[in-house]
Amino acid sequence: MLEIKNLHASIAGKEILKGLNLTVREGEVHAIMGPNGAGKSTLSNVLTGHPAYTVTEGEIWFRGKNLLEMSPEVRAREGIFLSFQYPVEIPGVSMVNFMRTAVNEKRQHEGKDALKATDFLKLMREKKSLVGIDNKLTNRSVNEGFSGGEKKRNEIFQMAMLEPCLSILDETDSGLDIDALRVVAEGVNALKTPKTASIVITHYQRLLDYIVPDFVHVLADGKIVRTEGKELALELEEKGYAFLNE
Amino acid sequence: MKVDYKIPAGETRDLVFVNETNLDWHIIQEEKSVLRIHVLCLSQDDKDAKWQSSLTVEQNGTGCRTELYGMGLLHTSQQSFVHTRVIHNVGGGYSSQVFKFVLDDVAKGSFQGELKIQPDAQQTEAYQTNRNILLSRGAEMITEPQLEIYADDVKASHGATTGQLDESALFYMQQRCIDRETASKLLLQAFFDEVVSTLTDDDQREDITQRIQDIL
Repeated sequence: MLEIKNLHASIAGKEILKGLNLTVREGEVHAIMGPNGAGKSTLSNVLTGHPAYTVTEGEIWFRGKNLLEMSPEVRAREGIFLSFQYPVEIPGVSMVNFMRTAVNEKRQHEGKDALKATDFLKLMREKKSLVGIDNKLTNRSVNEGFSGGEKKRNEIFQMAMLEPCLSILDETDSGLDIDALRVVAEGVNALKTPKTASIVITHYQRLLDYIVPDFVHVLADGKIVRTEGKELALELEEKGYAFLNE
Repeated sequence: MKVDYKIPAGETRDLVFVNETNLDWHIIQEEKSVLRIHVLCLSQDDKDAKWQSSLTVEQNGTGCRTELYGMGLLHTSQQSFVHTRVIHNVGGGYSSQVFKFVLDDVAKGSFQGELKIQPDAQQTEAYQTNRNILLSRGAEMITEPQLEIYADDVKASHGATTGQLDESALFYMQQRCIDRETASKLLLQAFFDEVVSTLTDDDQREDITQRIQDIL
């Protein structure tokens, strides 16, 4: 589904990713862990096409297409979803209007007709119950005045609405208490299919108790330096990243 | 043409001016009267439109309420110059001024907002905000808030900002499948909503919303 080859990327002239390789297949969950400043968030920004980042070398292929030639919105319509570490508040834009626009832009890209108002509201209801989010949130402006946990839950709701093939969860666990974490993880698991894949970027093992990865990668100094199964996360939790300096 | 106007005690006036080229009103409010004014500059076709709006409001009786709202969606070489003066002569009154402009191409605008609270006007509440978004390098906005407060027991604040569309919001929306142009439109409609939502007449609110969409 996703193939990253020798990716080099920089921001404001400073190289952050220095030859990253990663292959993600359908049905897989990949965890990316690593110390601060290793390039974890840069990876999610580059995958989604954030304009502040420049790819200086390497390739990214997504479902057979060259991702680097696509605008951020086309990447999203092709099925890449980022659950933001810091979801943005958009006062004055209602959740309903925002989601209707988003869903219909994606449908248009797929050659489908726009959803009728009643069908759209039905879809909202369905997905709301799936991720356990209530009307209190969807009746407001996008993320405006939401608590940290509500924002993260709203990200998962949007993910449910857009049904992406590849979801990137960028530190979705940060700022969540254990109950909120469980709800968010349950939402992510409920959306998992044999045709979808996830990249879970996290500092901590605890999210991986709920979203169990097939692979754990350690990202350090712009490269993936170690890849193992889910037991690696436990080892990192216990011993930290000291091995990087050995 | 200069208009002198008085609102009798306890009465309410709701004045909406759409594309008035030369507005010059001096309004006296008597005790417990309410004044709501909207000044809206929205023309799709008139590329050289020039709007001048001057509003002076004096609260001469206690317990008055004054709400001044203004917005402009200016493009091509359109110009809008707004001058407000809200004068609290007596205490116990409330006033707010909310003016929002979006300027594109080589449009020009100015907001000169005066707020004066006289020594006898204790327990006055008075607010003023002016927010502007510039969409091009050639657009220009001048903001001049002017506060003169001579009473000590008052609540007053003002704020003025001029900036660009929020890049982080634009990227967030792009990540949700929405192209930049559509995202910008949604943000600009939201920006004006603070003013549009205060129009009390439903038909008028719909008409103004439509005009904004047409220009965008």
